[in-house]
Amino acid sequence: MANVLIDGLKERISNAIKMNQSIGVVLPGNNYSDLVQAIFERIHSEPEEAWVYVTVTKPYESLTRKFEYLSTDKNIKFIDCISRAAGISKEESNVIYIESPTMLEKLGLEIMNNFKEFDPNANKFLVLDSLSNLIIYNDPEIVTEFFYHLINKTRARDIHTISLAIEEEGMSQHINRLIYLNDKILKVRDSFI
Amino acid sequence: MQKEESVMADKELCVTGIEELDIQLAGGIPTGSTVLVVGSSGSGKTTLCMQYLINGAKQGERGVFFTITEPLFKLTKNMEGFDFYDKKLIESGMVNLIDLRIISERLGLDTEKYTVDDASALLDILRDIADELNVKRLIIDSITALCYRLQTPELIRDFIFKLGSSLAAMKCTTLLTSEVPPRKFQYSQYGIEEFISDGIFFLGDIERKGDLIRTFQLVKMRGANHSRIKSAMSISSKNGIELAPLLKSS
Repeated sequence: MANVLIDGLKERISNAIKMNQSIGVVLPGNNYSDLVQAIFERIHSEPEEAWVYVTVTKPYESLTRKFEYLSTDKNIKFIDCISRAAGISKEESNVIYIESPTMLEKLGLEIMNNFKEFDPNANKFLVLDSLSNLIIYNDPEIVTEFFYHLINKTRARDIHTISLAIEEEGMSQHINRLIYLNDKILKVRDSFI
Repeated sequence: MQKEESVMADKELCVTGIEELDIQLAGGIPTGSTVLVVGSSGSGKTTLCMQYLINGAKQGERGVFFTITEPLFKLTKNMEGFDFYDKKLIESGMVNLIDLRIISERLGLDTEKYTVDDASALLDILRDIADELNVKRLIIDSITALCYRLQTPELIRDFIFKLGSSLAAMKCTTLLTSEVPPRKFQYSQYGIEEFISDGIFFLGDIERKGDLIRTFQLVKMRGANHSRIKSAMSISSKNGIELAPLLKSS
């Protein structure tokens, strides 16, 4: 059952990102783990692609503990915005730690720096996990400005983006505004399958 | 306007090698300029200067770093953590690190207090070293600490103007670091250093949700059609100094 759900999510994301430069994924909190697993499986199955994964939700260490292949896959680099604040910063070649999720300009720089390390001819993808968590640490206005810049920069460099927004009751107006900056919105529902 | 642009295009530029800074400078610092690098303690003045010097050496431009604020072993130890730092450039003499306190001692000067004659002797030495090494890039870290050793405001004023004339004659592109108190938008301790400078780089910070974000602003650069935007400044061991436009909602 779980595999069907994950395969379905993987297919939806793969199809959407093929046809659109940027996609926003709105999902209920209890589908978060499935969606992340679907994204990681997609990354693992396409080693010639270049992926940068920004996490503001779960520490890099916890993600790689669950999905061990991520620490050795060469086609993914992580930017972890939350571990440093928690006192964790185990140096590894495929992760960069940002001191705080408030350092948005630094985050923007590191995203672009990471892509420079990949083969310039590879198809490039960025995952922002997640807009809703960035808003926890920052004022919504600055996240909006950051996201505008990011979307413009990635479009100019032909980088496909997947931005996640975890749906809560009465999702903030700001998240709604932000997510609609994407070319395509995917809404994941509990009743998806 | 067209004429002005063509004059700028003809000017020789000293490329800092810090990508976004060179873009803001419209190519680089006009060669022969003296630039004041202003900031409080820990703002990144020394790192910026060292990266500028090392990037120059990598392009074949010899440089000299005069320090009066920290001993050489401490300076090099701090720089060893950066990927841009290359020990071979020091060993080959492309980058020269000189402790001004040692020079003062060798000249028999009181290292804590300078008289008019002492200051003048020191200036001559700076000029001689720069000439002899044929340097294209020169750093004094810091002008504030140097002036601190002078006894009166008149002496400081006189020294700074003489330094300005000496630097102008040296034909090398100079960065002078200037220490200011944190969160104060002032360029110098003595209020005069900025007048001998052709350019000013202001390194500051802003507070965001309790975190300090480093900032950089190119306040002035004579002879360059430069940007004046405020940037966020990142310092990392891998890339040294990098700039990105500061988000306006800060």
